[in-house]
Amino acid sequence: MWARATAGIFPGFLLSAALVGLVSWLLPGNWESTIVIGLIAFFPVWIGVIAASFKFANGKRAWAWLSALAVVAIGTLWGLQALAWVQ
Amino acid sequence: MKLKSSTLRTYTTLHTWVGLVAGFALFVAFYAGAITVFHHELQFWQSPHAVERPQETLADAQQLLDDVLALHPEARKHVGMLFPGGEHPDVAIYWQDAKGAWQFATRDDVQGSAEPPQAALSELVNALHFSLGIPVAGTYLMGIVSLLYGIALVSGLVIHLPKLMQDLFALRPGRNLKRFWQDAHNVIGVLSLPMHVMFAVTGAMLCLLFITMAALNPLIYRSELMGALPAAFDTAPIKPAAGQSAPQGQLAMWHTRSIEVAREQGLQDFEPAYLKLANSGDANAVVEVTGEAPGTLGPLGSVALDANTGELLATQLPGQRDANHAAISSAYALHFGEYGNAWVKWMYFLLGLGGAFLFYSGNLLWIESRRKRRQVLQGRAQVNLARATVGVCIGVCVAISVAFIATQLLEMRALNQSLDVGAGITWACFITWALCVAWAALRPPVRAAQELLWAAAVTTALIPVAHGVATGWWFWKSAAAGHWNLFFVDIVALAMAFGFASLARATARRARTGEANSVWADSPAV
Repeated sequence: MWARATAGIFPGFLLSAALVGLVSWLLPGNWESTIVIGLIAFFPVWIGVIAASFKFANGKRAWAWLSALAVVAIGTLWGLQALAWVQ
Repeated sequence: MKLKSSTLRTYTTLHTWVGLVAGFALFVAFYAGAITVFHHELQFWQSPHAVERPQETLADAQQLLDDVLALHPEARKHVGMLFPGGEHPDVAIYWQDAKGAWQFATRDDVQGSAEPPQAALSELVNALHFSLGIPVAGTYLMGIVSLLYGIALVSGLVIHLPKLMQDLFALRPGRNLKRFWQDAHNVIGVLSLPMHVMFAVTGAMLCLLFITMAALNPLIYRSELMGALPAAFDTAPIKPAAGQSAPQGQLAMWHTRSIEVAREQGLQDFEPAYLKLANSGDANAVVEVTGEAPGTLGPLGSVALDANTGELLATQLPGQRDANHAAISSAYALHFGEYGNAWVKWMYFLLGLGGAFLFYSGNLLWIESRRKRRQVLQGRAQVNLARATVGVCIGVCVAISVAFIATQLLEMRALNQSLDVGAGITWACFITWALCVAWAALRPPVRAAQELLWAAAVTTALIPVAHGVATGWWFWKSAAAGHWNLFFVDIVALAMAFGFASLARATARRARTGEANSVWADSPAV
């Protein structure tokens, strides 16, 4: 239980942040216009990710999957930001 | 809907432990939060003779503003004040002193103090609600509790999902007590789920907003978040002081202008509630008037004016505002129940008490499902959880009622001598709470439960008595004079006292006639 819980809390935090960031930056208009909605939405997204991390068969898998997804999501967001393809 | 049995087991364990860890704090948050819904009424109830004083006018407020600005130069940089109106006994004005500490002043006390006027009781109940009364760290603790609460809701829903529809309206009394408590826990949980989801999210947001912004800023906002916040949260554009003085406009002009501007945007009944004034006396002075537009979702909106000329600078009013302002206004309105009419407040009060019951019943279920049916002696963990549940949960009800009584008695004495009412109320509350917890730790749980429920019934029944003795406003007099805010505080206290007494009698009945092998049965062995 603890391994899956910590997977949801730590890599899950980064993944949730990246998901909120992607939506916030990909929506039409600039990112500033979704700051408050993004900050509010972050909490249910993170709660959902923590709850979903218990669906993994064991802690190792949860950590591996959530870390990989977090890296991909944050990488995508930072890449899009660096290329100025999103605003 | 079918779920794998291993999934079901995992989520049951998760729900049990998250619920136990967060349940105590959530009980306190919901019980105190239900009362906090009526914090304006409590301020009138606390303030002796507030209802007999004439309503303060805009001219009174203007006088207070002028006096404070003359007396406290640091308030000129930034000052906030309430418009006179039905919701507060006294117009209060507030600013930060040179050290950054908030100061509050009223017409009776232009010098100001660090305590908000006549609000010690509602401040205490509110502090219990959002921080358990623990300074600084308590708010973060409650933020984490809100997240655990969210996880408990998701996992609880998952466990219940396979039988959600067929069990929704089932409430099966009878020999299987666990079944009955489970049904009650489920039906309240499911029917009030939307409210619970909203509170988990907005509660986490209110407690953890700043720390979350700090964490998300480098991750997803390219470290540019802090610069973007004023535009997202405030209405008035930031104008640095010009360094030239200019004659300042009047409060009445800001009041009229903001209503005028709201009318132009189609809001007929905009009612200014409070203002923020920056760089008072300067050529670049800006005033932001926030008010309520009834009948809108997220009714609070604001109008920014040049404080000297009344020229319109910006608006964020319902119907014409950006997504950021609409979201924050709606989130606040939803959490605090500040939309719709008085029925919304009563609904929040009842849902708050229902939420408290949900957490209490969760603990009872834990004990019941681990009951040793064939022996008198129950496990140590069951007895300890029963003690803690009784001491903390019923204890906080007793403690809050004692704080109400202490408020009236201390306010009565404060008329003749100077004493710190706020500190007195706080001590009365926390000492009572500690005594209740200690009592529950020493007595058998079933005895402690009855005794503390009776203590809650008696102290709560004494609330209207203390009010009547201290101020002469017995509730029938309040009703006859039309002071409904006083009347309802007293009458709700009486209703709650009756409720506590009924619970005490039910507990006694269960101890006598219920199944014998339980922590809740009368038996010499525990």
